[in-house]
Amino acid sequence: MFKKVLIANRGEIAVRILRACHELGIQTVAVYSEVDRNALHVRYAHEAYCIGPAPSRESYLRADRILDVAKQSGADAIHPGYGFLAEREDFAQACEDAGVAFIGPKPSAIAAMGDKAVARATVQKAGVPVVPGTEGEGGLHDDEIISIAPTIGFPLLIKATAGGGGKGMRRVEDMTQLPGALTSARREAESAFGDGAVYLEKLVQGARHIEIQLLADTHGNVIHLGERECSIQRRHQKIIEESPSPAIDAELREKMGAVAVKAAQAVDYHNAGTIEFLLDKDKNFFFLEMNTRLQVEHPITEIVTGVDIVKEQIRIARGRPLRWKQRSIKQRGWAIECRITAEDPFNNFMPSTGKITRLDRPTGPGVRIDSGLYEGFEITPYYDSLIGKLICWGESRAEAILRMRRALDEYRIVGVKTNIPFHQAMMSSHRFFAGSFDTTFVEERFSMEEDTPPEQERIAAVIATLVAHQRGQQATQVVRRNERDTSNWKWIARWERLQR
Amino acid sequence: MKYATTIGERTYLIEINRDGEVTIDGETFSIDLQPIDAVTYSLLLGHASHEALVEANEHELAVLLHGRMYTVQVLDERERRLAQRSGGLAATTGEIMIKSPMPGLIVAVPVSEGQAVKKGQTVVVLESMKMENELKAPRDGMVAAIKIVPRQSVEQHQPLVVLT
Repeated sequence: MFKKVLIANRGEIAVRILRACHELGIQTVAVYSEVDRNALHVRYAHEAYCIGPAPSRESYLRADRILDVAKQSGADAIHPGYGFLAEREDFAQACEDAGVAFIGPKPSAIAAMGDKAVARATVQKAGVPVVPGTEGEGGLHDDEIISIAPTIGFPLLIKATAGGGGKGMRRVEDMTQLPGALTSARREAESAFGDGAVYLEKLVQGARHIEIQLLADTHGNVIHLGERECSIQRRHQKIIEESPSPAIDAELREKMGAVAVKAAQAVDYHNAGTIEFLLDKDKNFFFLEMNTRLQVEHPITEIVTGVDIVKEQIRIARGRPLRWKQRSIKQRGWAIECRITAEDPFNNFMPSTGKITRLDRPTGPGVRIDSGLYEGFEITPYYDSLIGKLICWGESRAEAILRMRRALDEYRIVGVKTNIPFHQAMMSSHRFFAGSFDTTFVEERFSMEEDTPPEQERIAAVIATLVAHQRGQQATQVVRRNERDTSNWKWIARWERLQR
Repeated sequence: MKYATTIGERTYLIEINRDGEVTIDGETFSIDLQPIDAVTYSLLLGHASHEALVEANEHELAVLLHGRMYTVQVLDERERRLAQRSGGLAATTGEIMIKSPMPGLIVAVPVSEGQAVKKGQTVVVLESMKMENELKAPRDGMVAAIKIVPRQSVEQHQPLVVLT
């Protein structure tokens, strides 16, 4: 097995990978930017090296510095996590050239799937259905894109060729919106990936986003670990995922799984990967893209299948054959993941920064948290707003939802605004409970402000009044706190009586 | 002490009595409010247990209770009389400063000085946490001044646009 693995990432995913390494008895090397000195991945790793200032481009995207650290520390493998350098074939190649194993697919497979236009053409040749869009080479000029758009038809999507996670993506309703959307999509893609190339794709309406998790070893074995339902999205960013999907039965699962395996084989794929599909109302599915890396939402698959995907990635990269056959993969129960972000759901999901002053994490049966948070940690504006993932398992979908509701109620993060109230509203939504939604659900048919129970509004009024009362009293009096055995408020009431 | 507490359309008359009792619209409850930290409060209303996050500014309190956010105005008797005489506290006119909610980079300013804007209209696009965020007008008004330019880096709370 590898002796020492360098984790070229930060945040919750760096912590997740460290855990897998430590369980396998592998030494770990963290890299960090100047603002991440106190981050959990630095504290948990066996060694840590600073690789530059806060902006990603000067630290987590500096392949040269990361390879220097690999050399200096004697790491024999690099795990890239997701984002940053995870889908850069030049980085995978540079690792290979430096004699360090890249825990992921071969550079050629990253390249084939990384340019999404090439990827579409490749899998289409292998008989995998694709969504209509601009095929072949990426990097079309605006003029070319504008002339092709009407042949695809509106509404359509602009997507970043190098992209993922909704960055550089725009929905376009008609021709008049196209030039402006192109400009802003290119700008966002340029800033997120250092590459402003974009392509067009027809928008499949009423579609669900379903993806298939794959594992492929270097001995020709490819298996799938079933599907993940990722239709709960906002601005094309996944927010809630579940496995299995309420829209998929055993027959469709086998069919989509087999097609996904075929798509991976078309590029001689190794390691963990994910094929994303759009599933329309009539259960037709279309290849969207392949993510040639570990996914944010991998834990829900781990929980229902019992496979530790990160450990499998490490074993595969070491040249070991898969320990699982397709027929031994079974989904047990139901898992849901809520992505916890530092965003204010009451203010248009505005990102929020600051120091975490209090953190109470839910525990108990069926609850898992992957996070880099701790009390005193500072959320900075330099990186993604994902601060943790809350994953709940249940025997049934209903139990998983009710357990998630319970866990969200227990989760307290103070110091930044979080989207926990959004998740609470979603877990109480009838449509979510019924499993009837598509990728437009959050933006077009979901509201945070449904049916406030009157009793709770009254309690909110009481709490606000008591707090205002206490503050009013404390503003005019010197109050010694916490040396009384009764509550502040009782104490204030007694004090008031004395004043009468 | 008597308070008039308003959430949305509804006003509650709440009296804080002696010895851990509170009267809400004529009904009396025993009550115990404990601060857990600077913003977290544990409430026992009778024996019913609730926990809320409360943040206060000058005019109102934001209460996050069981996943719902309530914006609450609390007036004592004197303030209430004053408010009734002056015709309410809500600011629907006057100057509003739109400030940067976090450090970031100005991507675009899709309005110009002197332009009329509608409530909810985007006035600044700010890039932070790798996403473009649209800052919107909190109410109808006119752009009185623009204090920043595209590509400029801004600090948290930095004034961006003045609306009148």
